[in-house]
Amino acid sequence: MINKRKIEENIFRCFMMAATFVVVGTLAFILVTICIKGLPALSLDMLIKTPKGGYYIGKEGGILNAILGSIVLGIGATFLALIISLPLVFYLNLYVKKKSTFALLVRFFLDVLWGIPSIVYGAFGFTLMVFLGLRASLLAGIVTVALLIIPIMSRSMDEVLKLIPFELKEASFALGSTRLETAVKVIFRQALPGIVTATLIAFGRGIGDAAAVLFTASFTDSLPYSLFKPVATLPLAIFFQLGTPFPEVQERGYASALVLTGIIFLISIFARILSKKFSKRVIK
Amino acid sequence: MEGKTHISVRDLSVFYGGARVLNNISINIPDKKLTAIIGPSGCGKTTLLKSFNRIIDLQDGVRVSGQVLVDGEDIYDPKVEVTHLRKKMGLLLQRPQILPMSIYENVVYGPRIHGVKDKKKLDGTVQCYLKVSGLWNEVKDRLHSPASRLSIGQQQRLCLARGLAVEPEVILGDEPTSALDPISAERIEQRFLELKSQYTVVLVTHNLRQAKRLADYVIFLYLGDLIEHGTADQVLKNPRYLKTESYINGEFIEEPEIHRELNLKGTACSDYFERAKHTLEKIAHSQVLKVVVEHEQNAHEFEKTMIHKGHRVLEVKRINKTDWEMLIQKQNNVYTI
Repeated sequence: MINKRKIEENIFRCFMMAATFVVVGTLAFILVTICIKGLPALSLDMLIKTPKGGYYIGKEGGILNAILGSIVLGIGATFLALIISLPLVFYLNLYVKKKSTFALLVRFFLDVLWGIPSIVYGAFGFTLMVFLGLRASLLAGIVTVALLIIPIMSRSMDEVLKLIPFELKEASFALGSTRLETAVKVIFRQALPGIVTATLIAFGRGIGDAAAVLFTASFTDSLPYSLFKPVATLPLAIFFQLGTPFPEVQERGYASALVLTGIIFLISIFARILSKKFSKRVIK
Repeated sequence: MEGKTHISVRDLSVFYGGARVLNNISINIPDKKLTAIIGPSGCGKTTLLKSFNRIIDLQDGVRVSGQVLVDGEDIYDPKVEVTHLRKKMGLLLQRPQILPMSIYENVVYGPRIHGVKDKKKLDGTVQCYLKVSGLWNEVKDRLHSPASRLSIGQQQRLCLARGLAVEPEVILGDEPTSALDPISAERIEQRFLELKSQYTVVLVTHNLRQAKRLADYVIFLYLGDLIEHGTADQVLKNPRYLKTESYINGEFIEEPEIHRELNLKGTACSDYFERAKHTLEKIAHSQVLKVVVEHEQNAHEFEKTMIHKGHRVLEVKRINKTDWEMLIQKQNNVYTI
């Protein structure tokens, strides 16, 4: 007799394997595509020179302006988002009652903000810029990207802080510490691996976003040198390069995509190493 | 109870949301003695313990009424500095909860937040209290390695050292040995025996043998009511009331069936016994009469008289600020007045 439960088991296992394969396969496919198309165009010049050759984001020179621009903008935005997200999540987890309407509302708002498309942030950043009389600049880009990644960062950190055992807070309070001391000296340390991961995930998300910087950071051929001047970013470089009718420039677009993917790849690895390093003292 | 009182609980009631977890508890915790709080699960032992250092404040939806006086000061007074109060009380939890730092940092965490900065002094503190908690020899070469690498028994001793390092006056233990292996548990018990001459120790325990080994004074709680308290010998070997007796003997605690009720509130004390006599005449041998009286003194007076008359007093408990409820089991053969 055929075992019905065994068949059931196998069917569902196949389904799960297929789903996993789709995810991993997509990543592999993307990597292969940008490698095949981008590797031939990738040269040392691309990494260490600014665009030259008369064309906008031209055939010659490199994309150093965009690489540096993206990194500066990404770091700036992550830093800004961090100094807003950290107090927010500590407030939510240590000062506000767990099931209060306030905490519920804040979390709900963050979830909504998370879902808002980045072009809307871009448009909002642009409005804000006009209102403040700013021009498209590195600063405006940083602020907009920070707004975009704050929900991602704070909700990820929030989930980490929620998992911290109540007894740990109890133990710290029982020694006579204030909420602030408990937050900074105990909870922060315990949550550090999670906080690092959340920060780097948000950084990865911020550095790869094109729509948020389209109006706010604009684009330039020069390297980033001032907070108040436009700055080039990799996603926009890719966007412009792929949008040209010249095959050579399009190829360079794939090379730029490869560079961006490489940066995000490095960040992910870095995130793992750091979070492992910080988890040594963490209590399991 | 002889000796000085350290913590004095007066009419303490604690509510979680709508549920009452502690019901009008009034009790004195003696100074420099070990007091064990015993009772079945969910009877409010931990709540009572954690109300002493206001750690229950951390829980959402907790409401406290009544007073807890520590050194004569009401700790629920809004003016009280909670951090200062908690510094006076070392708390040991059921599962050792170390801080995510090195062994050394765990011990100095408390002194540091209370302002000790001198490195030499901190080193001394670490050595001193790790010795007191019996951990020094095991960790002296790896003070700066993460505390999470210690075994669970060692972690609990580290927690003890950490608690002692803030120089508390009281040590509160919430079943501190229940998660430990027998040898580690014995070590912790040993520490408690040594410490009770210098500190007031309050210990919640499920383990009656542990209470017998350690306690000078025992409090028995049942479903949020204070049923019985007294010296360890008296409560554990010769309990006065039915529920305590059942619990100590490892039997189910059952509510006795009540055959008659008598409300003596508002009655003059002199009429108490006459009315009680009448009511008792209406019930048979070993049936139970429930009596409600006002004021603690009257309750004790009434209890004494009933015992004198040969009846058995099954329970005396406070039901609100003024009223006391007593259960009296009639004993026929001796009833004369």
